[in-house]
Amino acid sequence: MEGRDQVSARQQILDRVRAALKDRQATELPGPFQAWRPEQPADTPVDGFALLLEAAGGEVVRQPNIDAAAAWLTEFTTNFDTATVGKTVPSKLVPGLESSPPEIAPLGVSMASSAIAETGSLMMNARDGRRSQLLAPTHVVFVHARDVYATFHEALSKARDDLPSAIGLHSGPSKSADIGQVMVKGVHGPARLIAVVIGDD
Amino acid sequence: MSHTVPNQYRSEAARTLRDLPKVRTSVTSATDNFNHNRLRAYGEIDTDRWRNWARDVKTHTLTNLDHYLEQAEKSLTANGVHVHWANTSADALAAIREVVSEHDLKSVVKGKSMLSEELGVNAYLEELGVHVREADLGEYIIQLLGEPPSHIVGPAIHKSLEDCQQLFHEKFGTPLDGDPDTLAQAAREALRAEFLAADLGITGGNFLAADTGTLALIENEGNIRLSTSLPRVHVAFVGIEKIVPRLEDLAGFVQLTTRAATGQPIGNYISLIQGPQHRDEVDGPEEVHVVFVDNGRTNLLADEEAWEALRCVRCGACLNICPVYRQTGGHPYGWAYSGPIGAIIAPGILGLKEAMPLPYASSLCGACTDVCPVRIPIPELLLHWRERAVEEGLAPKTEELGLRAYTALAEHPQLFSIGGSLLRKLPWQRGGRALPVLSGWTQERDAPDPSSRSFQSMWKDGIK
Repeated sequence: MEGRDQVSARQQILDRVRAALKDRQATELPGPFQAWRPEQPADTPVDGFALLLEAAGGEVVRQPNIDAAAAWLTEFTTNFDTATVGKTVPSKLVPGLESSPPEIAPLGVSMASSAIAETGSLMMNARDGRRSQLLAPTHVVFVHARDVYATFHEALSKARDDLPSAIGLHSGPSKSADIGQVMVKGVHGPARLIAVVIGDD
Repeated sequence: MSHTVPNQYRSEAARTLRDLPKVRTSVTSATDNFNHNRLRAYGEIDTDRWRNWARDVKTHTLTNLDHYLEQAEKSLTANGVHVHWANTSADALAAIREVVSEHDLKSVVKGKSMLSEELGVNAYLEELGVHVREADLGEYIIQLLGEPPSHIVGPAIHKSLEDCQQLFHEKFGTPLDGDPDTLAQAAREALRAEFLAADLGITGGNFLAADTGTLALIENEGNIRLSTSLPRVHVAFVGIEKIVPRLEDLAGFVQLTTRAATGQPIGNYISLIQGPQHRDEVDGPEEVHVVFVDNGRTNLLADEEAWEALRCVRCGACLNICPVYRQTGGHPYGWAYSGPIGAIIAPGILGLKEAMPLPYASSLCGACTDVCPVRIPIPELLLHWRERAVEEGLAPKTEELGLRAYTALAEHPQLFSIGGSLLRKLPWQRGGRALPVLSGWTQERDAPDPSSRSFQSMWKDGIK
């Protein structure tokens, strides 16, 4: 596939770039991005995360520990028949429902590898399974409070050494304003996103 | 509507204003929303520091682009991604043809990609007998209508709710007064079936981090996440200017881009893609291809002024604020990128002759550069291309003659004064429009009566 034409296109592009830059002054790489802002929207990372995710149409549930989160899940899932569950969800948080393929499941349950206060994002790892994160109309995502980072920059720095094939940041339900500029939810991905933040009690 | 070329800009803009008044209403309302939200989102951050940082990272990357392209290629290859290089759109299309024929791919779902519009990917694949489905809701609407996108971020902003109700009624049998939720649900069901059947996902790329080979994609609907997760092959077309040095730089660029584009702190879905499915993962594509596309970008890079336009992150903020774009939407511009940014990159990508008269499709008010998240000096670059157009004999002859006449007058104060007093005596409201040079100006604008006294005489008396 990468035959002679490809090699030459590569070389031609790099040659043109070098010719274009021959007399251009190279500039320094600035330091890291620092989310400069006049005031922080919240005091703690979990508060900030909840504030932003809720503003974007997501729901946030806080539970003091994993047992309380499991009890919440049991209560929540009484309205569902089946679920599709991510591979990295701890056994205590696997709902007591029949498992169904992501293509037909009414509920997806996932474990986020981390979350970001600055943007109200859940960091979804491909190791957990992508279909179970995307196809069901309702998506419940667990995240440990200790894994909620203040900034996007920090979350990326932590993720850098063990990157999966893909990370998806989910920062609200699927939405679109493409029809007559009216906001609708659940266009392709889940219409409901519920983040369950688990404390360390 | 038929697809036009930039050279038809004046007549197409006039036609839109005359024959399609609803376009102006829809575009103005949508861009008002974008502007309102951007203003609020910029107000929450120290915008100047964010924009300076982004400008400086992009400038650094562009002035070391050969280094970062090679680094990105190395990282991508190490991640198991196939890297292709395309001098031109023909090269880029050949790359996707190879992938399609090697895997015998039949059905494509696409995330919104302006670069794929620039390259003409859809028409090309359809000629090859491959089914192509645009999956972004706005792109889907205009694909069904056979129209090109009208805006970089909101491809269907020129369509009203009534337009969509009519279309969905014909396509899916939804009620003519169906609300947006009903319409979106019909589209979701139709497109879900296509997602599950597709064997190729095609996207562009908002950014590509050179050190980890991470491709970043921004969206709100989830169609890009699905397009890059469900089909067994993923091909991403990435302009060579899209590279940023470090993975962590994505934190700044993704947030700044969405704040500038829609006023959100972040898009509801961000995909950060390293490569094909790992052995410990249950799903994801078997193969990922990145096609680095030049297609005229090195022409821009070689231009001593216009290269600054390569910092663009395609947020569309300059379109939203532009008093010229807002009247007509993007169609009259005649190619993928409309508005102020389109006018300054068209001469590099299409050639100056082919891009005419887009550098003139501006009042030079400068609002675009005030909102640009990477501080591209758009008005200066519009003037730059206008100068080049005069040099190459592409500008309207009247402009050249007019400037020469003005130069002659301005060098002779007495002639200037006599000329001025003559012009003030003309019956402007009646006759001014008929003057050969000015008729081009006055057909789209009012010519007010000039002051009864010259500036010089007012200056002598002390201006009151």
